[in-house]
Amino acid sequence: MLATVPSAVLHGVEGRPVRVEVHVSNGLPGFTIVGLPDAACRESRDRVRAALLSSSLPWPLRKVTVNLAPSGVRKQGPGLDLAIAMGLLAANGDVPADAVEGCAFVGELGLDGAVRPVTGTLPLVDAIDAPTVVVAAASAGEAGLAGRHRVRAVGSLLDVVTAITGEAPWPDPPALPPELPPPPGPDLADVRGQRVARLALEVAAAGGHHLLLVGPPGAGKTMLAARLPGLLPDLDDAAALEVTRVHSAAGLPLSVGGLVRRPPYRAPHHGVSAVALVGGGSSVLRPGQISLAHHGVLFLDELGEFPPSVLDGLRQPLEEGAVRVSRALGSATFPTRFLLVAATNPCPCGRGGPPGACRCSDDARARYARRLTGPLVDRFDLRVDVAKPDPGELLGGQPGESTAEVAARVRGARDRAATRGVRCNAELPANLLDDLAPVSPGALRMLDLALRAGSLSGRGLHRVRRVARTLADLAGRDGPVGEEDVGLALQLRAEPDVLGVAA
Amino acid sequence: MSERSELPAEAWLAALASLPGMGPARLAELLAGLSPQEAWSAVRAGRPLEGVPEATIERWRSRVAVTDVERLWSAHEGAGVRVLVPGAPGWPAPLLDDPEPPAVLFARGDPAVLDRPRVAVIGTRRCSYAGREVARQLGRELAEAGVCVVSGLALGIDGAAHAGALAGGAAPVGVVATGLDVVYPRRHADLWRAVGDRGCVLTEYPLGVWPERWRFPARNRIIAGLADVVVVVESHARGGSMHTVESALDRGRTVMAVPGSVRSPASAGTNALLAAGSPPARDATDVLVALGLDGGVWQRAAPAGPEGDAGRVLDAVGWEASTLEQVADRLGAPLGPVAVHLVDLERDGWVHQRAGWYERRR
Repeated sequence: MLATVPSAVLHGVEGRPVRVEVHVSNGLPGFTIVGLPDAACRESRDRVRAALLSSSLPWPLRKVTVNLAPSGVRKQGPGLDLAIAMGLLAANGDVPADAVEGCAFVGELGLDGAVRPVTGTLPLVDAIDAPTVVVAAASAGEAGLAGRHRVRAVGSLLDVVTAITGEAPWPDPPALPPELPPPPGPDLADVRGQRVARLALEVAAAGGHHLLLVGPPGAGKTMLAARLPGLLPDLDDAAALEVTRVHSAAGLPLSVGGLVRRPPYRAPHHGVSAVALVGGGSSVLRPGQISLAHHGVLFLDELGEFPPSVLDGLRQPLEEGAVRVSRALGSATFPTRFLLVAATNPCPCGRGGPPGACRCSDDARARYARRLTGPLVDRFDLRVDVAKPDPGELLGGQPGESTAEVAARVRGARDRAATRGVRCNAELPANLLDDLAPVSPGALRMLDLALRAGSLSGRGLHRVRRVARTLADLAGRDGPVGEEDVGLALQLRAEPDVLGVAA
Repeated sequence: MSERSELPAEAWLAALASLPGMGPARLAELLAGLSPQEAWSAVRAGRPLEGVPEATIERWRSRVAVTDVERLWSAHEGAGVRVLVPGAPGWPAPLLDDPEPPAVLFARGDPAVLDRPRVAVIGTRRCSYAGREVARQLGRELAEAGVCVVSGLALGIDGAAHAGALAGGAAPVGVVATGLDVVYPRRHADLWRAVGDRGCVLTEYPLGVWPERWRFPARNRIIAGLADVVVVVESHARGGSMHTVESALDRGRTVMAVPGSVRSPASAGTNALLAAGSPPARDATDVLVALGLDGGVWQRAAPAGPEGDAGRVLDAVGWEASTLEQVADRLGAPLGPVAVHLVDLERDGWVHQRAGWYERRR
């Protein structure tokens, strides 16, 4: 007696289809799962048995063999419980075999027979070909995002059995509470003063330019960074689906409708390990913080405190927008297209900033700066000094523009960038800059002088031109980039000696 | 081990100075009434010295036993290092009656450049760009007037003063706190060589001595002893420059200070000196007058600033380090046009920008 039920397991952020084959035969009673199950998978046996008995369903006192095909791929997690249980019932003849035809199952079983949601429901369902997918009620919204299946949401094993044998209709999909607008993030209007830093945030959001904030403790670097995601436009459908898949696979709580519409914001502490940041793991390949920040903002506070080896791991993902993590057990690719924002003190004592103000020794300053030089700092397009705000501004100053006002300008600038065939200006290829972002003669003269004076590097030139293009887009100016935009872009640029230590 | 008696006294002195734990005071005591060669023999014999622990005497004795004085001397000759003995030709005259004179000096270059009026131009390593410019200008103008500029070859003000003096013509003197074969700070290797070639680099430490914290205040007393006038360009409230000032005041030297912004931490020490009564050094003329020289060479004429908006932006930068945001706030202007003017002002040499901070240059 054999039954085959489709399901899927998670691999990285992708689902892989798995066929659960259950064979029931005469012999000594026993229950074996083969096909490279991991511990959680092997424990299915006990959960399935308890769930069947709790649901007053028969447990066959015969020899049961469960094969998870393809058997060469490791299976992890408890998501196959429901499929094993249904396969067993079908193979034992308790459920007609043709009833489970074309029906896939994704869910974990409780000992009481309840069907529970599993992490990564979206990529799992997406990997399944069967026309109907049965999932836990709580995962119904998420499973529906894949869009190709008839989704059946169930609360317990008994629900499935009665529905599939036609004794009762399928339970109604759970009534979703009305989708509330996401709680508003921190508002830019809370930031007093800081005109240049606000401008830099706006430019970073509009152009996708990586941003480095330099300033003493208490100047508001973290506060500024936390307001950046609010400036980014909602994710479009394709991006939202990508982000939701990653978040689903990582087991992050999703919104009611399931889809992640707002750009994520991740701010890992500097004690983060390279694996936690980039992704990986020995038995289960999990997405790292940089993938959870996909299409959103990754904020690294106290950049100088991150171990250099951890930061080095960011270079390739920044460059390619994806990271391939390889382990002995297999490899997985995670998407990593994020906006990098980092903050650092100007020097170990934190008092640096104005020349001559810092009390650190030259050696200490040079050591501190060395951590921040090199290839990673080379990725920042914008660098801005955040000074401690004036007490007068804090107490009596006018509130600045709100997030909504700035976000509207950012949307406009992104729309302009889209006409050039890129999502944002940071992606403008260098060889097309002359066509896509020409500069006026006066602005060209400024760039020429900066290059001649040695204050601008060749790589820096491209960055300044992209940033200047974003500034012009934000101001709604078409045509060649003018002097004001280039002048401001020159002020906001990040050259490798970001702390100004090399005298 | 050959010990030929025809080795000059300087050779024995250099060997004595190279002993571990040998400072100027011990060396002077050791040499009281003895020639350097006799002192060497006395150390070899383990003669006790008042105030020197037994263990040190023993360490000296074992070191002397393995030291080849002739090789040591040829190393000095090979490195172009002169050994100066108190009272002998080449010994700087101002150190003859110094309260804490060095017992020996090692020189690269010609110590005779010290025969002219000497001005020490000193200051902090953590200086502002403006301070560096002032030091460079002072060094150059003083050198043009024929003054020997003395400083410590350190980063910041010291190095700028030396660089200015080299540009001005008259040979400068650098007093360092390491052996002459140990260049510290390394970033100043070129400057160090230029000062040695054109002027003179002095130290009381033998070849191979590495920088140590305590040697710098000791070095500072030599700078104070050599100078007729000590000019402090920028100094924090505490620091090496203040040690030099104390040593200079002990020796009755004139100490002048360059006035700075009351809000600049790098000028806290110099402004305190001014408050305590030091004469201000606004430019080389002030210093030359203090030296008793004719100071009428340089006119204090403020250069005419740029016209129009650029001039207003320059005024808003002012004489303290400012950021773009501060400048724009002072003007109440949008950031873009101010940024354009700042780029122009930087190109025309009115302001200097580093890591986002603008400082006015002239």
